[in-house]
Amino acid sequence: MNPDLDLALERIIHAPRATVWRAWTDPSRLEQWWVPAPSRCRVDRLDLRPGGAFVTRLSDDGAEFVPHLDACFLAVDELERIVFTNAIDSTWRPASPAPVAMTATITLNDHPDGTDYRIVVRHGDPEARAHHEKLGFADGWGTVTAQLAARTEGRQ
Amino acid sequence: MAQYPAQLDGVFVALADPTRRAVVRRLGHGPTSVGDLAREFPMTLPSFMKHVRTLESNGLIRTVKSGRVRTCVLNRERLALVDDWLAEQRRIWNERTDRLEQFVTDPEENRQ
Repeated sequence: MNPDLDLALERIIHAPRATVWRAWTDPSRLEQWWVPAPSRCRVDRLDLRPGGAFVTRLSDDGAEFVPHLDACFLAVDELERIVFTNAIDSTWRPASPAPVAMTATITLNDHPDGTDYRIVVRHGDPEARAHHEKLGFADGWGTVTAQLAARTEGRQ
Repeated sequence: MAQYPAQLDGVFVALADPTRRAVVRRLGHGPTSVGDLAREFPMTLPSFMKHVRTLESNGLIRTVKSGRVRTCVLNRERLALVDDWLAEQRRIWNERTDRLEQFVTDPEENRQ
């Protein structure tokens, strides 16, 4: 864990481990919680095996779906662990995903109240991408640029 | 961000240069002496010191002198004015976990 780049979440979920696992591994269930409403999610690929594809799309109006996640599973241990990364896409092609490359590890353990649910998300360095941008700013800086421009223009 | 316009301008200027961004990234791993930092960049020490002063005057780093060694320390709060992507990722995963929990604790879901 690098505290500047990574995050860890831990939660006791009051439901049996098998129920949580099913919510993660059944496309029709995953679609119901993966993205925040009112956006809609469509799970295109959910090949739960190492090297398997994990592809989701997103729609704001329920009609047109745009790319959301194009990732690849690294490890899938029944009822225990799911690891995926978007640093390589579902066709195993090296990718430069926005906003940042990540590897997410989800672990499930039994707990007296249900499921001990833990997430560790390891991120690539978002600043490293700044070197490839024409203006030298990655997406994260883009917002700042826009705000700065808006403010300085307003001052003139 | 709007409440810190002057500070933000300075941060923005300081980060508009690849060498200075690289220094910030390097200091993200921990405090480092000016000498050690300078060795990593292909420029003269005076040129490098100019970058250090720009970072310092805009509040992105602090420098502390101990004996003959000057050490640079990242000022994370100032950097956080613009670089809050990690907080954003945390929010996304937290809310996603909230939704998962709501979904799996729904009586409908547990009947099956």
